[in-house]
Amino acid sequence: MKRRHFFRISALGSGSLLVSTFIPLACASEEQEATFWDPNFFIRIDSNNLVTFICSKAELGQGTSTGLAMIMADELGADFDKIKVEFADGSKEKYGRLHLQDTGGSNGIRMVWKPLREAIAITREILIKAASIQLGLPVSSLHTSMGYVHSSKDDQSVAFGDLIAVASTLPAPLEVKLKDPEQFQYIGKPIPGRLTQNASKGIVPYSINVKLPNMVYAVIERCPVWGGSLITYTDSAAREVPGVIDIFEITPTVLQQNDYKGGVRPGVAVVATNTWAAMKAKKLLKIEWDLGPNSKFSSSDVHNGLVRFKESNKSVAANFRNAENILKNSSRKLNANYESPHQANACMEPLNAVAYHYGYKVEVWAGTQSPSMTRERISELTGLQETEVTVNNHPAGGGFGRRFFCDFVEEAVLISERVRLPVKLMWTREDTIKTSKYHPYSLDFWEAAIDDEGMPMALGYQGFTSGPSAYRPFPYGLPIAYRTRLSYKNGWLIPRASWRSVLAHPWALGLESFMDELADSAKKDPLKFRLDLLGNAEIVEQKMDPWVGDDLHPEKLKATLEKVADMSNWFVKTDDGLFQGCSSISYNTSYCSMVANLRRGPNGLYVSKMYAVIDCGLAINPSKVKAQVEGSIIWGLTALLKSSITVKDGMVEQKNFDDYLLLRIDETPEIEVEIMDSNDVPTGSGEPAVPGVAPAVLNALFMATGQRVRKIPLDLGSF
Amino acid sequence: MELTINGEGYSFELEDNGMPLLWVLRDVFDLTGTKYSCGIGQCGACTVHVDGLTARSCITPASSLEGKKITTIEGADSIVILSALQENWVAIDVPQCGYCQSGQLMSAAALLSKNPSPSEKEIRDGMRGNLCRCGTYTRILEAIKKTAEDLSS
Repeated sequence: MKRRHFFRISALGSGSLLVSTFIPLACASEEQEATFWDPNFFIRIDSNNLVTFICSKAELGQGTSTGLAMIMADELGADFDKIKVEFADGSKEKYGRLHLQDTGGSNGIRMVWKPLREAIAITREILIKAASIQLGLPVSSLHTSMGYVHSSKDDQSVAFGDLIAVASTLPAPLEVKLKDPEQFQYIGKPIPGRLTQNASKGIVPYSINVKLPNMVYAVIERCPVWGGSLITYTDSAAREVPGVIDIFEITPTVLQQNDYKGGVRPGVAVVATNTWAAMKAKKLLKIEWDLGPNSKFSSSDVHNGLVRFKESNKSVAANFRNAENILKNSSRKLNANYESPHQANACMEPLNAVAYHYGYKVEVWAGTQSPSMTRERISELTGLQETEVTVNNHPAGGGFGRRFFCDFVEEAVLISERVRLPVKLMWTREDTIKTSKYHPYSLDFWEAAIDDEGMPMALGYQGFTSGPSAYRPFPYGLPIAYRTRLSYKNGWLIPRASWRSVLAHPWALGLESFMDELADSAKKDPLKFRLDLLGNAEIVEQKMDPWVGDDLHPEKLKATLEKVADMSNWFVKTDDGLFQGCSSISYNTSYCSMVANLRRGPNGLYVSKMYAVIDCGLAINPSKVKAQVEGSIIWGLTALLKSSITVKDGMVEQKNFDDYLLLRIDETPEIEVEIMDSNDVPTGSGEPAVPGVAPAVLNALFMATGQRVRKIPLDLGSF
Repeated sequence: MELTINGEGYSFELEDNGMPLLWVLRDVFDLTGTKYSCGIGQCGACTVHVDGLTARSCITPASSLEGKKITTIEGADSIVILSALQENWVAIDVPQCGYCQSGQLMSAAALLSKNPSPSEKEIRDGMRGNLCRCGTYTRILEAIKKTAEDLSS
């Protein structure tokens, strides 16, 4: 393979600079020789006193690495400002797959909180024991703080780094006591942390910034229809682009053709000396596709298919017969169906990964939510043992569920396998919108049996999220029947990914809109109606595998709703131009209630303010928790007011930010967030505030116009 | 061609005159603070200053910038407004994933240099070209307001 220099640089003036694309720039920094002690998978202490936190969870901007580092600093007695954070490579041997490593379902803090504290408490006790030996003082007189073990009897103190030689010879204590909340120095404080500092300087080490010696750059033109295949292609014009090295076909394996776990499409890869050359050449490819069976279908076919499925499948799981009987015998019913479109994650950092297939081993550098699963998949894909696959995880420029799936890493490996060089695979923005994996389209059918007073007696639900093992938690204490999960008989028109809040989004759009419709039928205030039901509801068991968390406590949800009612002056109507709607959501043992304020402006109705109250147990870092709620509200408003992915003849119709629109700063309402005081186990805050946004706004729209809108997105200005 | 980047002068040849400044900065000069996100000038992640004014580096051919002075986020220390913005970006904990923030900061710096005490509406209008998928807008607004106050006192 012939590589070409496309660029020469020399500095003007006195300094001399010579840069070539092929000079290795990622040389190791010069660090002083230090010995270290790594008593467990979360921590390394160097003899020069550097404490490194090894974060097993992915950092996507949700602040988990900051929160976990704070937990570690508190449990250890370390100086948070001096802790270095590293990201763990993919390893289910160390972390298990789903429990401690792969990041999804707002599980980062929830899953790691307990094992991290236990491991670090053991570390602390060993350090104290080592100090006791070194200083000749009793253990009971020693404590840790700011990176030292201190004696409470005299002024003696010894740095952690000076204890590691002794510490590394000591056995771990069998029992340790975790710190009491009143001993926390960092937990509970709004700390910006290292990522915020680095992001403000533009120096966060995303995988898109990785540069390795001899690295080449690749892009792929993918089949525009899922399930299609490549017939032939012409690359003569593309090969003329300066910097292009090679062009070849990408053929997914059977493993990669699964619409959920896989997602790699047939395509043509362009490899070049720089990103621009690869992108330019990609546009010059002439490809003939066999678009396959999905090219006969569009979004409307998915809708119609789900409707037909519903009409022919109404069975009810056995333990919901009670609700079904009430529904069957009721003379008065209320029905409503809710519809939400496909969506794209559209992370600001387009998908990308660097891979180096050496022939006998593979190393990848990527921002992935699933370093363990990625390693497992690459092992399966290449036939190499997992021990020969190294996944270096990088902070990502957004993930929102999309980076849980590793098709983009697998593609980089496929290309590097062919060229046997380090390859940076870049997705263009168009790739991330047109040929990606998507939040699925959904249709949800709700019905209720209504008594003579207009009050609901039982509910029935059939939709995308019901099914034997995937009941969404219903908090309101009424009998509910879950019917057979809807499915689209033609298979998946476009491949699926997770999208912030996942199935809770359509579930909540239906549930929280329908609760308002029921309140209206009962002639009750919709917020008061919810409070009354929650006040009488019992605890709902929640179980998933793996599951770290608690059952659903309706009284906690009720408390968030009461608080948001206060904040938003819900019960103090003074302003004729203000229209309010509410929602209350439980999501993986977090709770979030919301009020949307609508007003009328020169361009029609608009959202003027959003209020939210979250209960996520103990809030490790209130600044990050509030940021997640603020961001979730903007995510929810984008889905409600701006964007959707639509499919025509198997092809996604949107392509970039000019037609897949995101909410902009001038469209963003005022947002006010409160966190419930709690010392309960921390749960999650990345997603719980997404699902309630659409119903809260739609319920306010009903207040303003008397119209029920049950399909999103919508143009609020047209009302 | 000749270009000044963050105060340093460079002379070089481009093999492809169509190559946007973004890729010259990122792939050649390793100035990775400037980000690729849409490639069509819609999101602002690639915003830099050309002779003090904002430019979308993803759609600006480097060859069109002969003799110009380019400032990227890496050159922030030399710009008082930008340094002041960075301080408040940290104090208010603006970034989440951080990917769009270089562009946000470059746009905010240009806004404040033109209009040292913008109204809220002027900030919203001035920043509407920069997308953030994480949803940091309310904090961006707060940080720009605070910086304007800090610089005027």
